[in-house]
Amino acid sequence: MVMSASPTDEHRPSTGRYLNQSKIQAALDHAQDLGAAYAEVRLMAITDSSVTLRDAKLERAIPGQEVGVTLRVLADGAWGVHSTTDLVSLPSQIESTVRLAKAVAARRSSKDRPVQLAEVPVIEDEIHWKSKLDVRNTDLQTKIGHLKTLHDSAADDDRIISVTCGWSDEHLHTELMTSEGMNRAWSFQRSLINASVTGRDGSEVVSYRTRHGGEGGLEVIEDCDLGALGDSARIATLRLLKAERAPSGKLPLIADRDLTGVYIHEALGHPCEADLVAAGDSCLDGKLGQTIGNEIVTVIDDPTIRSGYGAHPIDDEGLDTRKKTLIKNGVLTEYLNHRESAHHFGITPNAGARAQDGLHHPLVRMSNTLIQGGTHNDIDELMEDIQYGVYACGSRGGQVDTGRGSFQFAAQEAWLIENGELTRPLKDVSVSGLTLQILKDVDGLTRDSRLAAPGFCGKGQTVPVGDGGPIMRISQALVG
Amino acid sequence: MLPDDAVDRIAEGCREIGKLCKNHGIQQWEVVASQSYGHSIDIEAGKISLAAGGGEGGYGIRVVEDGRFGYAYLVDLASADYAIQQARDIAKVSPSVAGFTLPSEQEAEQVHGLFDKTILDIGPEDLLEQADSILSEVASLDERAVVTGGGLGVGASAGAILSSEGIESSGVTTSHGIGVQVSIEADDELTSSYEGESSRQRLQHVPDCVSVAVDWAQKTRGPIEVNTEAHDTPVLMTSKGFSPLFSMVVPSAIRGDRLVRNESFWSGKQGEIVLANDLTLIDDGRLEGGKSASARDGEGVPTRRQTLVDQGRLVGSLWSTRDAAQQVAEGRIEHAQTNGCAVRGGHQSPPSTGCSDLQMTSSLKSSSQDALLERMGEGYIVHSVMGAHTANPTSGDFSVTTSTLLRVEDGEIIGPVKQAGLSGNLAKALSNDVHLGDEVRVQGSYSSGNMHLPDVLLMQGLRINPV
Repeated sequence: MVMSASPTDEHRPSTGRYLNQSKIQAALDHAQDLGAAYAEVRLMAITDSSVTLRDAKLERAIPGQEVGVTLRVLADGAWGVHSTTDLVSLPSQIESTVRLAKAVAARRSSKDRPVQLAEVPVIEDEIHWKSKLDVRNTDLQTKIGHLKTLHDSAADDDRIISVTCGWSDEHLHTELMTSEGMNRAWSFQRSLINASVTGRDGSEVVSYRTRHGGEGGLEVIEDCDLGALGDSARIATLRLLKAERAPSGKLPLIADRDLTGVYIHEALGHPCEADLVAAGDSCLDGKLGQTIGNEIVTVIDDPTIRSGYGAHPIDDEGLDTRKKTLIKNGVLTEYLNHRESAHHFGITPNAGARAQDGLHHPLVRMSNTLIQGGTHNDIDELMEDIQYGVYACGSRGGQVDTGRGSFQFAAQEAWLIENGELTRPLKDVSVSGLTLQILKDVDGLTRDSRLAAPGFCGKGQTVPVGDGGPIMRISQALVG
Repeated sequence: MLPDDAVDRIAEGCREIGKLCKNHGIQQWEVVASQSYGHSIDIEAGKISLAAGGGEGGYGIRVVEDGRFGYAYLVDLASADYAIQQARDIAKVSPSVAGFTLPSEQEAEQVHGLFDKTILDIGPEDLLEQADSILSEVASLDERAVVTGGGLGVGASAGAILSSEGIESSGVTTSHGIGVQVSIEADDELTSSYEGESSRQRLQHVPDCVSVAVDWAQKTRGPIEVNTEAHDTPVLMTSKGFSPLFSMVVPSAIRGDRLVRNESFWSGKQGEIVLANDLTLIDDGRLEGGKSASARDGEGVPTRRQTLVDQGRLVGSLWSTRDAAQQVAEGRIEHAQTNGCAVRGGHQSPPSTGCSDLQMTSSLKSSSQDALLERMGEGYIVHSVMGAHTANPTSGDFSVTTSTLLRVEDGEIIGPVKQAGLSGNLAKALSNDVHLGDEVRVQGSYSSGNMHLPDVLLMQGLRINPV
């Protein structure tokens, strides 16, 4: 049966851990006795809460607790995995999971390389990122109060017909034990607030979304001027009611830091994921050390930026997270990797493994991805020599075909640039292009680089991420 | 795969929680439980990369007192008392919705085709053999073709619902799914196509989607030069290309609450023509074998087949119990009640309103692809789009990118185009001069439910911007 043991019952030792360490150690030893080269048990316990206010009235509030655990076994150079919400049953799954891995290995052809893992330091410790204001202690009324502040400013116009505000927080606790002796536990929190604003003028209906969040507890929300966030969402919504359809074609484009973040996430970040490169599904295969962008382009992925929504102290293979420089002055310098892909390419593991929760196995993922700042002072400098172009702001999301290196992302709103000045507001702007071309077409960046709105990234599994950068100019982009 | 007593045990868990709710003196309560098990295989770089198995489950508790509701979920019955208290505390601060009570028991007829016993017998070894066959099939269709991603899986899910109003129901559904990303890299050109198929019933050993993926990876090779000026043009969207946009925009437009709150582009148009006047939109919660169909909806109300748009005219909308009561209480509509359209994202969420198995049909004779191309004359076939999730469900506007498109002139395919932007307003594009193909395929959805759509020729309202 899959119902889990809770941290308060007999299955939780007095160590503060969910996993019974002696039993798990015995299970890992058993896996090795059965022929596993490596085995791990990773547990994630999530205490979360979401609240939705629709037009200032509480629509729903959902507190919850989840516990999931995944057993991953590497035997004969292939993976077998078992995931469950039933902690107690896990040791009984060792034999079948080893058998599964061996069955996969038996199908490997002579030309295929067996999976091997890059070596990493074996660490036994606990790291807990403490929030200033533990979000688990935040009561519902406090959350509703903040949501109402956001609502009231966003709804302050007759043409705003609906405002839905949302709150989400989670406390994540992870435990990892491996057959190599790794035994780590870590925890941290994330908090997020958002609003979706709908405006109507006659038959014209538009919507605009805004959000703020990051790693941490209640302080993440309290540090934000929610009134200003709501004001800007309302103003943008009203502007969209008057906006024109965007021109189509190849045009100079300026992107705000929100869109710059999504651009670098989709266009570069995903093709840089070493598991995709190893699978032959990346346009950056074989391009390490090569110049792939303008020399003004430097890109980092940094899970240690504590304010970022993608921050985390330890990756899901137990490695301390660190900053990665993916592009340095236009040169591709590093793939994001996990232990398997690091061994595949003979490179140093850089702690890029993340899993959605305790029921999923880790993949190579981004965290907080940014383009570093450039030399322009402000948007006026970037615009001054553009005769006809587009300034696009805010993200409605994006997508990439990593193999072909083509990507698309959509803006929430935009302006036409005419003779170096912003003129008419535009809507429904999307931008598409080819990674290996458009990185070369980045020809201007403002000095200040920082994370923009938090986001979520899907790759079969969904994980929170932060993206951002400076305001960016692309000499020519396909705008639709 | 599924323990013999899986349903009994979660039903018993519901009863235990129900007893606790009674002990707390809660006016109305509802407990749902789900528990799923499955096996899956991942494929990467032309080989099986991983085999996995496992299960997950939990309980959700909804309490309603004086029109106020609260919700909490849990995985461990030992914490049920705490979860009930959490849900009750939330209900106390929730606004009271006049007339909102949990639905009462009504008899519900079984929907057939949701369970296939043979799927329970599929083990990891069987899936591995199926994966071997798929890899072999791809290689035999084109020696250059490689399955660069995807996988296959089987699952069984037990579900149960129990409420203070006499609803008590449980059952098991099964699923079998396959998806393959096929790439061909040769002569400095990479093309690829992702195709998938899933069913409540056991799929063929090598389903058709495998050859379709190879076919599209082949026929998008060798792009031709076309006029790169952005221009309005007819577009034939294959079922797979059309479904993501359709599912992002249309299901939310026909939700009753969004319609009466002026949040839908069809708000205020009840009884008016909103689609081309041969098109009909039906949500069939009772579709035999339907991937979202069931005897009861997410709050235990019997499901039904209902016409939402009839010959172009908006005649219906989707409702769940609370949304209906709330919109009536707030005076936006005189009368509304659930029509069995409550959906849930598992035990972790309370019911909301959504569609089940949504179908678009035409009263006109459907056409073969050749006939549709002849009607189009000049335009494009689009088989997949990137960025459909960025479409705006409030307005119907979208601007996406496609790398899987073919140029058509004089009713003939003349070759693939490397990449193009595609934009327009889906509501407007569907309002006139729309022609449907003759083969309906089931596609997944960005919203609730599944989309049952043929190829769709849109003669107006779309703009293409080739690279």
